[in-house]
Amino acid sequence: MDSDPGPIPPDDGPSNPNPNPRLDPEPNPQEYAQEERLCSLTLEDSGYAPASNGSLPEDIYSGDEIEEEEEPAAASVSVDEVERAAGEARASSSHGGAAWRENSEQDGNAPPSPSSSGYAGERGSSGESEIEEVGDGRASPDDWSRGKEHLDEDDASVSWRKRKKHFFVLSHSGKPIYSRYGDEHKLAGFSATLQAIISFVENSGDRVKFVRAGDHQVVFLVKGPIYLVCISCTEEPYAALRGQLELIYGQMLLILTKSVNRCFQKNPKFDMTTLLGGTDAVFSSLIHSFSWNPATFLHAYTCLPLACATRLAAAAILQDVSDSGVLFAILMCKHKVVSLVGAQKASLHPDDMLLLANFILSSESFRTSESFSPICLPRYNPMAFLYAYVHFLDGDTYLTLLTTSSDAFYHLKDCRIRIEAVLVKSNVLCEAQRSMLDGGLHVEDVPVDSSIRSGSLSPHLGLDKTAAGSLSSRMGTGGPAGLWHFIYKSVYLDQYVSSEFSAPINNSNQQKRLYRAYQKLYASMHEKGTGPNKTQFRRDENYVLLCWITQDFELYAAFDPLADKALAIKVCNRVCQWVRDLENEIFLLGASPFSW
Amino acid sequence: MGCSSSLPDRNAGRLGSLNNGNSMVTDSKNLRVKLVLLGDSGVGKSCIVLRFVRGQFDPTSKVTVGASFLSQTLALQDSTTVKFEIWDTAGQERYAALAPLYYRGAAVAVVVYDITSPESFVKAKYWVKELQKHANPDIVMALVGNKADLHENRSVSVQDAQDYAEKNGMFFIETSAKTADNINQLFEEIAKRLPRTTSSS
Repeated sequence: MDSDPGPIPPDDGPSNPNPNPRLDPEPNPQEYAQEERLCSLTLEDSGYAPASNGSLPEDIYSGDEIEEEEEPAAASVSVDEVERAAGEARASSSHGGAAWRENSEQDGNAPPSPSSSGYAGERGSSGESEIEEVGDGRASPDDWSRGKEHLDEDDASVSWRKRKKHFFVLSHSGKPIYSRYGDEHKLAGFSATLQAIISFVENSGDRVKFVRAGDHQVVFLVKGPIYLVCISCTEEPYAALRGQLELIYGQMLLILTKSVNRCFQKNPKFDMTTLLGGTDAVFSSLIHSFSWNPATFLHAYTCLPLACATRLAAAAILQDVSDSGVLFAILMCKHKVVSLVGAQKASLHPDDMLLLANFILSSESFRTSESFSPICLPRYNPMAFLYAYVHFLDGDTYLTLLTTSSDAFYHLKDCRIRIEAVLVKSNVLCEAQRSMLDGGLHVEDVPVDSSIRSGSLSPHLGLDKTAAGSLSSRMGTGGPAGLWHFIYKSVYLDQYVSSEFSAPINNSNQQKRLYRAYQKLYASMHEKGTGPNKTQFRRDENYVLLCWITQDFELYAAFDPLADKALAIKVCNRVCQWVRDLENEIFLLGASPFSW
Repeated sequence: MGCSSSLPDRNAGRLGSLNNGNSMVTDSKNLRVKLVLLGDSGVGKSCIVLRFVRGQFDPTSKVTVGASFLSQTLALQDSTTVKFEIWDTAGQERYAALAPLYYRGAAVAVVVYDITSPESFVKAKYWVKELQKHANPDIVMALVGNKADLHENRSVSVQDAQDYAEKNGMFFIETSAKTADNINQLFEEIAKRLPRTTSSS
C-alpha cells in the first residue's frame, strides 16, 4: 500500500513544523493488520532525540523491527515439552471433552510466539456472544462486588467451558485455591489435571510457560507452592496474561503475605481456600480491572486532575503526618491518586498501589467505618504485614495510612482527624469531587495549533473548550485528525494520564477492545529479544494505533481507521506537548516517594 | 497460619497503643470502655454493632476486613454514661492470629455465634478459651446467640448455651440484629456488669 515512503530528511528534527505534504494513500481499512515500515534509518540518524520535549518525526518508522504475523518461528517463549504436557493433560484428565484441549494436538506442537500472532483483531472477544465474560458491557461495578457468580458451574458445565477467560489458582499438590468461575471445591479434578501438566514438565527439569490449543491459550505461572493458570481465548498476548497472573498472585500476597508458603512446608496438602475466605469480590474486581484499568499493564498509576495549589495543600498535610511515623499516607479518589507521601527512602510500587486500591474498593466493609487491618505490600516487602488505617472521607475519597506498628491505631486516627480538618478547610474534598465529575483530558480539547498554546494554561485544566480551539465540530467524532483516545505515561514519574472516552468509543465493550489493543501494542513494544522499540504505526479495520516510546514517556494513541498518517503523527506531537503543558495538574510531581 | 505479624525492621516508633481504651474511667460517672466482638465469620458481629451504633440493618453481607472501629455512648438510668469503643473483628480464619491485637486490654468481650450454626457455637467456645488464657483476667464476657429471628432453623439450644455461659462466668443473651431484638439490652447488661470502682489501666 504505502509503497513510496520517501526519504526522511536527515535533519528532520524535533521542532520541524512542516507537515509531510504527501498524504498517505492508504484508503483500505479492511486491509488486515497492516504495519507500515517506512524507512530503515537508525534512531541516531533520524535526529529525534528522546528528550522530553522531542517530537515525533512526521514520518514514522520502525527503528527496530516489530514482529509480524508471518514470523511464528520467533517463539522466544516456547517450551519443548508443551506437546508432551498437553498429551499428559489429555491422558490424565477425567473430562476428556473440554474444548480447550481438543485441538492441542494439531496446534500444540508449534506454539507461536504469542506476541507474534499479530494483530488478529479481537475476534476472540467480540465474535461469538453466547457467553461473555463477567463484566462485559452490561456490568456495573456492583456485579462483581457481590463476589463470585456462577457458583453452580463446574468443568462439566457447558456454560463453564464456554467462558472466554478462566483464572485458576491451585496448590502444588493440586488442591484448588481459587477459580474465577464455578466453585473451587467442585474443580478438584480439573485442578489436579493442571497440576499434572505443570509437574510433568517440572519433572524433566523444565518449566511450562504456555500451551496453545486451538483458539485457547493456557498460561502458567509457578510461585513456589502456588500455581496460577489462565485459560483464555481472548487473543491477549502471553506477556499480558502472565502479567495478570502476577497481579493475582500479588493480590493474594497482599492478603496473606508470602509466609503462607510455610503452611505448605508443614503440610503439602494444606487447604488454602479457608485463608482466603470472603475475598472472592477482591479477585473478581481485580480480574474485571484487567479489561478497564490500563494501570494493570502499564505498571503506573494515574492521578486525579487537580489544580496545582489544591494538590500541594493535600501533600503538605500528608507530609506533616508522615513525619510523625507513618510509612505511607495515600489520599485517593476511587482509583486515582490525589496525593501520596512516603516516609524517607520508602517507595511505593505502582503495582502495590493498584492492588491496595483494588482491595480497599472491593471490600465493602471499609466504607462502613474506620478500619485497621493488616495488609502486605508485595513489592515493598512480601514477607511482612503492614497495618493499614483506612477511612472513607466521602463516597469516593479515602485516606490510607500505612504503618509498621501494630498498635498505632489511635495515633493514625488522630492523624486522620487532623488531615480531614485540613482537607475540608482547604476545599480539597470539594475540588476532588468536582474533578471526578468533570473528568480528565478530552481528545476534543487537544489544541489544534501548537502556537496558540505555548504554555498558557486555561483556568481549569485546559478543559475550557473555547479557549483550546476544538476541532471536534469539524471532525464529527473525536479529536483532531480523528484522534479517538490516548494514554501518556511518564516513565520517570511512574504515572500515566488517559484521555476520557468519548464517541465513537462509548461503551464498555469498545473500551475493553481498545485497551486490549493497547495491551498488545505495549507487549510488542516491550518484548524482550526484539530490543526496545521506539515507534509503531498500525492500521487495522478498527483503528489506527500509534505508539511512541522514548526514555521519558510512552504514548499510545488510537485514531479513526481512516486517519491520515502524517496528520496523526502531528497530533501525537501536540498531545505530548499538551500533556507537558498540563503536567502540574495531571501528575503528582516532586512530592512523590519515587523522587527520594 | 502465617499471619503472625512479622515487622520489617524499620522503626516506626511506638505511636500509641490499641490499649488506650482500656476501661479508662474518665470520671466516676462517665466510663470509657474497650469492647471487642469475636466469633465465626457470618454470625452477624458487624450487624449487631451497626444496629447498636446506627440503628441500621443491612441484609447484604459485607465481609469485615481486619477490624472496624466504632463507638457509641450509652446513657444509663442512674445518669451515668458508658462510651463503648468497639472493635468489630473479622471472623475470617486468616485474622485469628491477629485477634490478640484487638482483645488485648479490652474490658469487654462479646463472643457471638449463630443459633442456626452448630459450627459457629464450637468456634465461640474456642474464643472463650482463648480469652480465658490470654485476655485481661477481669474481662467481662458475654455469650451472644444471634439470628434469633431464625428460630425455626435453630440448632443450638438455649439450654446448652445458657449452661456453657454459666460454667464460664459469662452472661448469655440471644439477639436479632435484623429485628433489633435484645440489641440494646445486650449493651445495657454489659454496662451494668462493668466494675464501677476505679480500675487501673
